[in-house]
Amino acid sequence: MHNWWRVGATVTADETSLPDGFEALERFVATWAIADLAERDAMRGSSTPDQRKAFYSVASGLLEPALDYLDGKPLTALSDPEQRLMNLMLSLAHVALAQEVQHEDEAHHAHFRSFLPFTPKA
Amino acid sequence: MNEPKPVFEPQSNEELAWLGTDPIPASAYHDPAYYELEREAVFKRSWLPIGHVCELAEPGSFIRRDIEVVKASLLIARGKEGEVRAFHNVCPHRGTRLVPEVSGTQATFSCRYHAWTFGLDGGLISAPDFERFYVKKEQCGLKPVAVEVFAGLIFIHFGSPEQSVRDWLGDLAEPFEQLPIAKATQFVEYSYEIGANWKLTFDNFQENYHLRVVHPRTGGPGCAEPNPFAYPERYNFWGPHRSQTIWNNPNLPAPQGVQAIGNGRIVDAAGRAGLFGAELGMDFTCLFPNFTVFGPPARQFTQTVWPLGPNRSRGIVRFYWVGEEENASERFAREYVMASQRDIHCEDRDVIEAGQAGLASGAIDHINFQGQEVLCRHLFEAVDAMVAAWRSNNGG
Ligand code: FES
Ligand SMILES: [Fe+2]
Repeated sequence: MHNWWRVGATVTADETSLPDGFEALERFVATWAIADLAERDAMRGSSTPDQRKAFYSVASGLLEPALDYLDGKPLTALSDPEQRLMNLMLSLAHVALAQEVQHEDEAHHAHFRSFLPFTPKA
Repeated sequence: MNEPKPVFEPQSNEELAWLGTDPIPASAYHDPAYYELEREAVFKRSWLPIGHVCELAEPGSFIRRDIEVVKASLLIARGKEGEVRAFHNVCPHRGTRLVPEVSGTQATFSCRYHAWTFGLDGGLISAPDFERFYVKKEQCGLKPVAVEVFAGLIFIHFGSPEQSVRDWLGDLAEPFEQLPIAKATQFVEYSYEIGANWKLTFDNFQENYHLRVVHPRTGGPGCAEPNPFAYPERYNFWGPHRSQTIWNNPNLPAPQGVQAIGNGRIVDAAGRAGLFGAELGMDFTCLFPNFTVFGPPARQFTQTVWPLGPNRSRGIVRFYWVGEEENASERFAREYVMASQRDIHCEDRDVIEAGQAGLASGAIDHINFQGQEVLCRHLFEAVDAMVAAWRSNNGG
């Protein structure tokens, strides 16, 4: 999606809306609803501990409901709000590794990860 | 209820001693002269898996692969009738590298120097003012390289192979073919360069002795009584190839939180796709010289370690997946599996480089493998046998 013309514009509610029941995640859309795996991984690495903690504390409890809701549709038929919810949950996969496994080692671990980047899609 | 306590006995040193017990010469892991011998004896004389047929989806699909250890660049293309061919990526006019793109789809390849143009079968189709040459077009095709597709993987061979890939795998061929990679339709990749000899890099991934030291958070929980080193159930050998069969520890604590959901839903997806049950499904299988596949269908990945010099190598890790994700759960679970596996792998690089720095100093003449590092010993023995044979055939 090309949205270069929106650079500098205020993000409108229309661009952060999520399916009913997932409103609590809307404040995380701008940071964590990322369409590409390598970029989600990079966001884990460049985010602050507070950003990860805030996102994980709200999103982890909504993971099962979100997947159960999204599983009701073919992946190719997701609406924009549903796709944003999917992308948020994919970012959660990365952030959860920081919060559940690495804990205070996360910053050091980010250095290790920087040498093994995912290959961008051709 | 009195549950019987699980017991675990790793394979004994007595069972593994047939491979020898002597220290291994350290020079094989850093000496430039030994590296030169490996290039000739091993990498120019072995089948090498360089990709997967899912990268060549249709007639005209091609990939370029640069194999530094033999200073080659290859063009691998699918022809009009679907056949896979490999060529040196070198223009037969005056040697120019032909294809600059890493991959793509096209019916012909044109050299950027004098515009000789080749077809998917490697034949020269046209060349400007060709009448002035002293050769025929039929003599001017791209130079072919031996290629075979086996279990979905594309193998190339820089010499004249004495055996097909199947014969070279021997009794390993049949179980290897059952692995889900044979059916894969897509992959996600990560890679790294490392200041370490290719064998030192490769060895890291074929011993479990280091797990609880190097991976306290990512691998630590798997190192639990009665198997605190997470040693495998057994080791298996097929000629120069080898595997370890992972032991499932029933004592491990159940995963929690997002980890439980990620791991649980990928197992569901692999079950639905019918991917369980392969004989090598719990094995970490190594094809000589530089390829591994980890069998469990819920987190199957391959790694190829390419030599870049006596003290340098590159690891390429790929997660091969069968089919598109069926639903959101499977998409989430694949992402979780790949990110968590990369989290483990990245912890090794630093300590492998530290090992190379020590070896390259020449301070120690020998390295010592314990019984549970038998796969590392087996790789060295297989390499060294080829090096010795090549030496004696070439007056060394
Ligand atoms: S070198 Fe390729 S056409 Fe001359
Ligand atoms: Fe490791």
